[in-house]
Amino acid sequence: MKKILSALLASALVAAALPASAEIVVIVNKDNPASRMFSEQASQFFLGKSAMFTPVDQAEGSKIRTDFYQKVADKDPAQVKAIWSKLVFTGKATPPKEFKSNAEVKKAVADDPKAIGYIDKSAVDDSVKVILTLP
Amino acid sequence: MKKQLLAAAMLAATSMMAQAGTLGDGNLSISGFGTLGVAKTNSDDAKFARYNQAAGTGDSPRIGLDSNLGLQATYTFNESLSGTVQVLTRKNTSQQFTTDLTWGFLKYKLNDETNVRLGRVVLPAFLISDYQNVGYANTMMRPPIEMYGQAPIENMDGADINWQHAFGDTNVTVQGFGGVSRGKLYIPTGGGSVAKHQSPVFGAAVTAEYGPFTARLAHARAKIEVNNLAPINALTDGLAATKVPAAIQLADDLTLRGGKKMSFTEIGLTMDWKNIVLQAEYAQRRAHEPVYIPETNSGYIMAGYRFGKVLPYYAHAYYKGHGSSVTVPTVPAAHPLAATFGAVRGLLVSPEQKSDLIGMRWDFAKSLALKVQIDHVKPQVKGGSLILPSGVPTYSNSINVYAAGIDFVF
Repeated sequence: MKKILSALLASALVAAALPASAEIVVIVNKDNPASRMFSEQASQFFLGKSAMFTPVDQAEGSKIRTDFYQKVADKDPAQVKAIWSKLVFTGKATPPKEFKSNAEVKKAVADDPKAIGYIDKSAVDDSVKVILTLP
Repeated sequence: MKKQLLAAAMLAATSMMAQAGTLGDGNLSISGFGTLGVAKTNSDDAKFARYNQAAGTGDSPRIGLDSNLGLQATYTFNESLSGTVQVLTRKNTSQQFTTDLTWGFLKYKLNDETNVRLGRVVLPAFLISDYQNVGYANTMMRPPIEMYGQAPIENMDGADINWQHAFGDTNVTVQGFGGVSRGKLYIPTGGGSVAKHQSPVFGAAVTAEYGPFTARLAHARAKIEVNNLAPINALTDGLAATKVPAAIQLADDLTLRGGKKMSFTEIGLTMDWKNIVLQAEYAQRRAHEPVYIPETNSGYIMAGYRFGKVLPYYAHAYYKGHGSSVTVPTVPAAHPLAATFGAVRGLLVSPEQKSDLIGMRWDFAKSLALKVQIDHVKPQVKGGSLILPSGVPTYSNSINVYAAGIDFVF
């Protein structure tokens, strides 16, 4: 009985720990010459500081999006929104296009040589190139 | 009535917000921002207002000080060309809420680092000039009037060019702009009047960003021309009518008829590191030919600390006179113009003001921020930037401004 309980507990812990430890990878088009990138560099595109690449975002409010900005730039969703408000309402930039799933982000990146996106590591396939892994 | 208008505008915005979801998928994107705020002070002797705002706030609650609504549409023609229009409803030079075109331009992307914009753009004289009306994008409730009141020009019709380049880990943006600014100026003296200005303007701004640090340097030059500035025109007409050469010269020196050259130079710094938020600016307003507008130095420093979604902050702001570009002739006390010249000397003295403020921003929900702020305003000379009742030349008591508001973006 105790064994079952502790097994249940252990599996519950593993399950609870899984989403938190899910790795996010930053992906670019296969034709993109870049081979690796630091977090600071990647965050430039997603915070509108550079227009060299075209960022592709996950859905607003999604867990992966919240985690991504926390990991890549140490910013919460409200801070990111405030940064984009400055850019949008001064006509400097338009916010990244949003896609609803890893598969859609992957497709958008595979279709655009200038695109940069992020997805769960588990969703990676050879249609895109991984240039940064965020643990 | 005006509250109903604002409510109607909000309603229109909400229905637009609902449509934005469908429209946003194509080439047209519609977005907006706004603040619904209420404010009062502890005194009715002098009124507090934003720069160029005709309706001052006294000791009864008013929504006009900080409430506004901005709507923006951007149409992307292709990868290089887009057009943006933004209108802003707020209380400005009129007692009622009015709507103005704040931005309206075609943007052409020359390459990944450079774009040009043609049309109406905001004059980026100071650090937050570009987005000073977007409450959600700012920490403080409103830009410190001590500094943002120094430049009378908000937009210009012309062109600007933006170049952005990364030097290692430092992002540098250079912006050059030129055009003609046209707009209304609220003149609080003599019971209040509105004058129109048309001013050729040009300048440049350089911004460097390194991690959490941003530094900005800007310089703008304008030939400010105001032909219907009633109180000054009455004075200069009177001086010219005396036919005394020294008085005619003084009238020429004081006037804004025909335009006078002035400049605005600013340095700004921001930091958003760990949980510490800092923002500081210093600016100089200078005259490059004789004009009645006093030269000033102004600045502010704001410091805040983020506790999760709550950001309390403190700021100190000031402006001081830096002398006048006009030399008033010295005449014996018995001279018939002695009293007039004495009054002109008084006119040339800049108002001065200091403020301490504390506030808090709380990002309580998605795309919504609640702010509360208390300003302790200390007029130092001529009642500072407070609106004084007609016939009252000076006011030196401190006033407190209590304000709360909700900022939103969509």
